[in-house]
Amino acid sequence: MTEHEHAASVGEDVELEAFRRLYPLEFLEKFLKDGVRPDGRPLGRARSTLISVGSLPHAEGSAMVKLGNTTMLAGVKLEVMTPSVDFPDEGRIVVDFQMPAICSPHVRPGRQSELEPVVSEQIRNALSSSMMVDLRELNIAPGKAAWMAYLDVYCLDSDGSLLDAALLATAAALADLKLPEVAVTDDGKVLPASSDVQEHRSLKNIQSKRLKLGKIPMALTCAVHPKYILPDPTAEEEAILKTTITVLTDFSGQLFSLYKPGGEVLASTSTVQDCFALAKYRGKELQKIFNNAVIDAEADDAMVED
Amino acid sequence: MALEFISPEGLRLDGRRPAEIRQLRANLGVIDKADGSATFEMGNTKVIAAVYGPHEVQNRSQQLLDQALVKCEYSMANFSTGDRRRKQKGDRRSVEISLVIRQSMEAAIMTHLLPRTQIDIFVHVLQADGGTRSACINAASLALADAGIPMRDIVASCASGYLNNTPLLDLNYLEDSGGGPDVTIALLPKLDKITLLQMDAKLPLEMFEKVFELGNKGCVAIANYMRNVLLENTKDLAFARGVVKV
Repeated sequence: MTEHEHAASVGEDVELEAFRRLYPLEFLEKFLKDGVRPDGRPLGRARSTLISVGSLPHAEGSAMVKLGNTTMLAGVKLEVMTPSVDFPDEGRIVVDFQMPAICSPHVRPGRQSELEPVVSEQIRNALSSSMMVDLRELNIAPGKAAWMAYLDVYCLDSDGSLLDAALLATAAALADLKLPEVAVTDDGKVLPASSDVQEHRSLKNIQSKRLKLGKIPMALTCAVHPKYILPDPTAEEEAILKTTITVLTDFSGQLFSLYKPGGEVLASTSTVQDCFALAKYRGKELQKIFNNAVIDAEADDAMVED
Repeated sequence: MALEFISPEGLRLDGRRPAEIRQLRANLGVIDKADGSATFEMGNTKVIAAVYGPHEVQNRSQQLLDQALVKCEYSMANFSTGDRRRKQKGDRRSVEISLVIRQSMEAAIMTHLLPRTQIDIFVHVLQADGGTRSACINAASLALADAGIPMRDIVASCASGYLNNTPLLDLNYLEDSGGGPDVTIALLPKLDKITLLQMDAKLPLEMFEKVFELGNKGCVAIANYMRNVLLENTKDLAFARGVVKV
């Protein structure tokens, strides 16, 4: 490239960037008219999705999810608790979604982002309405001891569709979760399996196991423009369009919940149906990715045990 | 003696020799939205750092007319340690580490070139296995370089200690909690100046010199590694821009 050409292309870059900043909606619409998104994907597609499980050795279950640039890291830590009187054979799962200051220029340290409690609550609702984990799976000794699973989801890079990525990370971390082998005394004391058996004669061993998973919930956020529907929006698209509809389903397309938090565009029945159809398509796509990631991890496990 | 930190063959608990650092790994540009970002791994310790800025000062009353305002926040993931700990944010330890990181970075940043601006440095510990302080400083330093902020030199940090009558380099968690002294050093390698020196526990002066010398060498080794990572990254960027052709 000659120096002159180089200078010209720099000038164009600056102009493009200025247009993008000054007229964001027009900028976006120019792309949509041609049936593409600013990041180059077709209108109705989600970004490339990557799931890897078991990346944190300190945690009993962990997963990292990348949805385009949006990155989530989820880890499960286990503690023993005394179950409540009402549900003596059930454990608990506590979900906490957090956005540390690294994830976005808009998060200020010390001030909690509004999104944190909202996404935490949505994940919690998704887990309970999908019944992904039967809480009785977390039982150790009925009425005496059960597992309390703390699930922390951290957003490492925030670039739109946070709930979609966070929920996927939650599901993958729970699929990766392995309850450790423990020994239980008669009075409900839980000891590591390696404890000296001589001291406690009434010791009962409980094998290490993975959770049996029910229907796995997934979310698809769609940004809505009066003419177009954009599934899996980036932070830029979310900021320009302001209206989103989130559909929560399982991988087979069974609907759990719908969420449209206000916005400028009113959704008609057909818009909602379109979103639902997109979610169904996305479900099939995600199921493959999810199963591959989790099955790979289990195969690795088996190899280690051999 | 509670625990033998060094085997009769002269190997440490994780199989290293006394003057060996753990495996280093660093990546730049890991967070898309940040102006600069980096991950830094020292063995099992893994931290991620992001730099936002220089941008305008958020709180006008803190604005400095002759130099940039540097802010730093250190946080830890709840699952980063063996036992789950809560309420990390704003506790004394994080505040202290935030301060330490900020001050050692301020020594390297040419703040006088960026008056009336603010630079935010955020570090987040994903996995802790000793030496988080050093790893955070290294990651922050790489993230600042990635953000293109003018610096006198990179800051490289390493911890060293003294257990079983032997000076040890780059302590892991077990060695760190072994009760011996823990000396954290941050070095500006080109200028050969120390910006941070922290030590707890007692240590005779002649021993301190040995431990300090070892830590210093560790910093130099880490600085070399960081320089290579930065060079590689710059080459990649130049290639992507079409400035360099292969």
